[in-house]
Amino acid sequence: MDFKLRKAEPADVSDILRLVKELAKHEEMEDQVLLTEKDLLEDGFGETPFYRCVLAEVQTETSRSKVVGFAMYYFTYDPWVGKQLYLEDFFIMEAYRGLGIGSELLRHLSDLAVTCRCTGMMFVVAENNEPSIRFYKRRGAEDLSKDEGWRVFRFDRDSLLRMATPTEE
Amino acid sequence: MDFTVRAATKEDCKDIWRMITELAVYEKMADQVKISPEDLERDGFGQNPLFECLVVEVPEEQKSTDGFIVVGYALYFYTYSTWTGVCVHLEDLYVMPHFRGNGIGKSLLSKVAQIAKQKQCARLQLCALEWNTPSRDFYAYKGAQDLTATEGWHMLRFDGHTLDSLAQEDAKGS
Repeated sequence: MDFKLRKAEPADVSDILRLVKELAKHEEMEDQVLLTEKDLLEDGFGETPFYRCVLAEVQTETSRSKVVGFAMYYFTYDPWVGKQLYLEDFFIMEAYRGLGIGSELLRHLSDLAVTCRCTGMMFVVAENNEPSIRFYKRRGAEDLSKDEGWRVFRFDRDSLLRMATPTEE
Repeated sequence: MDFTVRAATKEDCKDIWRMITELAVYEKMADQVKISPEDLERDGFGQNPLFECLVVEVPEEQKSTDGFIVVGYALYFYTYSTWTGVCVHLEDLYVMPHFRGNGIGKSLLSKVAQIAKQKQCARLQLCALEWNTPSRDFYAYKGAQDLTATEGWHMLRFDGHTLDSLAQEDAKGS
């Protein structure tokens, strides 16, 4: 099947949100997606983009294009080695897997990372997501949690607000 | 102990670099620091900064034995969650050993949280090493959830030759 990869544009936000929700559903967390199309538009295509997005598109039988996969990423910083490409979301619709779209998307992102002067491409995967871990490790990814003992921590909104209120000295 | 937390300027890059190296030594990974003060200046204080930084200063009379008045830093940047939007990632938080126990770390974390709140971020994320119990305890006490423990999150990376190989793989399909 023919497919192509392209940079997302403002008109794509409804497809992006659709795929974000599909990925969340796949992880059984659909109700946790609080973002709207408006948020995606402002955050990705405003003056300061907080994310960038690459889409995978196929031509349907009726010659219409259909967005079947996406990768959302942004640039982060490792104070030891510099600019990194951080892969936030990576998803191909179930019906379109096994066609090489995922591999090509990952290759495209790596190319981007190298062109943009990144020394690494990073992401987080749940340890029970064996297909994804296999996919990445087969291509040479290092598991920093396993090999170096890095653990990921998060403060949610409540803890954040508690910390943000200056304490009386 | 008197101290001030302020936004870093490009003149602070040498001090920030010094402390990045000290933190790497503490994390037993000193040989992994490849960056220079000039890299920091270009990456953090140029046209499209990749990070923001806070530094901690003490008065001249309280300077370190080596004569430094910049004794701590927090380096952070903005990330994006497709569920909740803009977040803050706290990449480094460090206070020189001699100056610990005076609330400087707490103050730095609080200032980063204030910045996150101002930007309406729903989350603050960070990584800490397995064996780094003092840091893990500090963050747990402040309310952080260990996602590696609760959700099995693992941090993966492609770098060096694995990134190059991946970029050069022949395109499949079509």
